[in-house]
Amino acid sequence: MPTALRFGDPAWCEAVRAEVNASSEYRNAAAKWGVGFNGNLLLAFEGDAMLPAPLHLFLALAEGRCARAEFVPGPKYPEAGFALRAPFSLWREILERRTLAATAILTGKMKVEGDKLTLLKHAGANRALIHCVASVPTEFPPPR
Amino acid sequence: MTALKNELQGKVAGSVRAGAEVSPAQTTNFGHLFHSTPRLLLEPRGADDVVAAIAFARAKGLTLATRGAGHSQSHVGLSDGGLLLSMVSMGRVLGVDADALTVDVEAGIAWGDLLRHLEPLGLAPPVLTNNLNVTVGGTLSIAGIGVASFRHGTQGDQVVEIDVATGSGDLVTCGPDREPDLFWATIAGLGQVGIITRARLRVRRVKPMTRTYYLLYDDARRFMEDARMAMDSSRWDHLESWASPSPQGTKPVNGRRQVFARWFFPFHPTVEFDAKRPPDDAALLDGLRPTERLYVDDLPTYEFFARLTPVFDLWKRGGTWEHVHAWTETVMPWETTPDLLDALLPDLPPSILVGGHILLWPAKGTTSRSRLFMRPPGENLMGFGVLPAIPPQFWADAKPMLDVASRLSVAMGGKRYLSGFVEFTEAEWREHFGPMWEPFVQAKRRWDPDGILNPGFVPLDARRPVAAPTA
Repeated sequence: MPTALRFGDPAWCEAVRAEVNASSEYRNAAAKWGVGFNGNLLLAFEGDAMLPAPLHLFLALAEGRCARAEFVPGPKYPEAGFALRAPFSLWREILERRTLAATAILTGKMKVEGDKLTLLKHAGANRALIHCVASVPTEFPPPR
Repeated sequence: MTALKNELQGKVAGSVRAGAEVSPAQTTNFGHLFHSTPRLLLEPRGADDVVAAIAFARAKGLTLATRGAGHSQSHVGLSDGGLLLSMVSMGRVLGVDADALTVDVEAGIAWGDLLRHLEPLGLAPPVLTNNLNVTVGGTLSIAGIGVASFRHGTQGDQVVEIDVATGSGDLVTCGPDREPDLFWATIAGLGQVGIITRARLRVRRVKPMTRTYYLLYDDARRFMEDARMAMDSSRWDHLESWASPSPQGTKPVNGRRQVFARWFFPFHPTVEFDAKRPPDDAALLDGLRPTERLYVDDLPTYEFFARLTPVFDLWKRGGTWEHVHAWTETVMPWETTPDLLDALLPDLPPSILVGGHILLWPAKGTTSRSRLFMRPPGENLMGFGVLPAIPPQFWADAKPMLDVASRLSVAMGGKRYLSGFVEFTEAEWREHFGPMWEPFVQAKRRWDPDGILNPGFVPLDARRPVAAPTA
């Protein structure tokens, strides 16, 4: 059992990047993601009872690869072509595979910034990405 | 219970059964997702029985649901403790006017039975559903679409007039130009304002033979270009198409390996013809660019209408007819259909389609006048349907996938077709009907003031919540 990494640490970001780049599932599903458009993604974990302060994970994504993963100042980040915003409690449900990210997006619980149709069209790429992020053994912050 | 049954029996000519006497098949429908036992079941013998049943239900504080062939999949055609009318007992052809090209039928007749009556006359309804065992009243209450809808609209568009037993207790004859508000609240109206007891339908003269070209495409966009050309060419009488999987192996989806497919797009344009004047194949196919031309099938026209009956028989013999059918059908904008296919097909396991299929029906948005058959704006539309047969033990796994497919299709501008499995929130129902929601609510209040008709699906009456599946 790999050691859990603390959510929000640089080591956790690096583990996400490594997981994405090691995933044939993501490499295949996202082969066309970021081709002809800016596929960089900002995952905005909004503060709530489970997260004292918001966190913003930037992922530089193109053609099935992740070139960079780091927490950046929010709430906007100019390099990102898309942003997905949701309270951390919802993100945690997604990362613990209790809720589908697609469902969260399609029901409006997760906000999308960027061309929503492009995001929806590449549903497989984003599903595979979330799977990669969720596959990193994570120690989540305790509830406040 | 016996007293209530006897009391109703004393008011109607048809047969009445108590809940315990109702067959298990009548406590669910083709979806096999909902199971409800009515308090009483009536097999009405005519419109008078239907009117009497409505009066009885109102007096006793019972809900009243109608059931045709039970091919719906949501909480439709079912009654949970109310009065259920099994309309197939009203299945007569009342008359054919071969000069006016109309036929009068009772609403419980199956389209296939009507066709058998019309065949000796060389007549047929312009639009037929693929499954001919469904009833006229049932499909008119949804809209009724088929492979000729790109030319003739919905089955509801081919209605001259109907008799409707309203929830307020009246039997009203209405049509597009006679009581049009009631007519258009009944056509595709989900049985919310009244019960169709009789319909006068347009029919057309058919040519005796059909020729179908089995064209195969390996690219969705090229298929759609040709489908649009086929619709615009006026050469074809019927257009049918699918997405068809060729399994390629397994791949991880959310970390679990599942079978994935390369998808192909069979396209079957059909033309009717007289045997002495066979169609000119080259002229018909001019401009179409399939990957492969697989087969050319000549069939007597009435056999063409029933072409899927052997498939359905196979599903029944194989047992998949009894599986969960949560069909997810959407009328899509032409422009976003390729995006929807890109999003859904790569992760769709072909095994979900054992005993089912994926429909892609090119259609025209200009052929229907129906007010409650909701469709996106635009001249060209695509009917898209994931039609699986799911073993009950796999329903929990399949449901989220179908839920995403439904929501994705709506997010891309589609409108769900309501004969399938629909699990909308009230807000989603409002969004579905858009500007027609309030008129629909008003029609419900006007013609079903006690809110007794067909509860459990569309929440026009806030007192009666949408039913949850029991499967």
